[in-house]
Amino acid sequence: MIPSDDRIHCGTGRQKEASLASPNELSDFLVSIERRAYKQALFAVRVEENALDIVQDAMLKLAEKYGMKPAEELPMLFQRILQNTIRDFYRRQKVRSMWVTLFSSLSSARNDEESDPLETLGTAAESKGTAGPVESLEQTQVIEYIEKALQQLPPRQRQAFLLRYWEELDVAETAAIMGCSQGSVKTHCSRAAHTLAEALRAKGIQL
Amino acid sequence: MNEQQIGYRIRQHLNQGLEDLGASRLARLKAAREQALTRQRIAARPLVAWADNVVGRWGGPSSLIPRMLLPMAVLILGLVAINQWRETQVAAEIEEIDAAVLTGDLPLDAYLDKGFDAWLKRSSH
Repeated sequence: MIPSDDRIHCGTGRQKEASLASPNELSDFLVSIERRAYKQALFAVRVEENALDIVQDAMLKLAEKYGMKPAEELPMLFQRILQNTIRDFYRRQKVRSMWVTLFSSLSSARNDEESDPLETLGTAAESKGTAGPVESLEQTQVIEYIEKALQQLPPRQRQAFLLRYWEELDVAETAAIMGCSQGSVKTHCSRAAHTLAEALRAKGIQL
Repeated sequence: MNEQQIGYRIRQHLNQGLEDLGASRLARLKAAREQALTRQRIAARPLVAWADNVVGRWGGPSSLIPRMLLPMAVLILGLVAINQWRETQVAAEIEEIDAAVLTGDLPLDAYLDKGFDAWLKRSSH
């Protein structure tokens, strides 16, 4: 079970001899983390608007509750808040989908705007910006494959892998954020890495 | 390729992917960040209130500290007052003696004279 962010206690060495985060430090931290946070949320919830909402919620919670914490504690705190916000989203989504399923069985004409493929195509094209050389295109495709493969991972594996290798947290910190044992983190990471490598190899991508 | 190497390579690709988020998303993230910073400033203001609260808690009825601090303060004040009163009393006594000496018929030099002292002792026997 993942502990609530109301009960956060950062037991890392980072909090030693730390001074409180100034608004500038918090701003710098948020700038450094926001893109990765957005992508992490997007991998988890797969809908851009929801991912942006999640990042916004996490930022607000961090600033309101822990804005005066030492700057060294912010990465751990933010990651825990972000993961909890994603988990809360899953819960709400579960309840909502239950009602939608119930409702859609009564009404056959369901307009699912969120999964409109044309819209997805549009945003993908927008994000690419200007067309570059062949290498750039290949690189973009590799990133897309990797992101897609990450999205397809089981949530816990993806969470562990991203925290360990993208956020560069150690096993103990990842375990603290995920609310599981260090052994579980290692297992999740190992499986995730194996699955990702396999998926990319199947697409002919050499890392 | 081991797990660490896979993680490292994927991390590199993911970081490259961050450069191409699009203006609309970046604007939205910036707005979220600015809103969060505003909240931090608002949340920081009650720091004074928090300090006041802490002091209040110390003086509040539920804490053990006031139960000890208040009687101790009263006791110390009492002792200081008693000491002050005693000193005043002693000073008053000395004043009285000095006044009696000064208003007496004998001059002060008589009290300092050794012969007078000897005469007093002899006459008292």
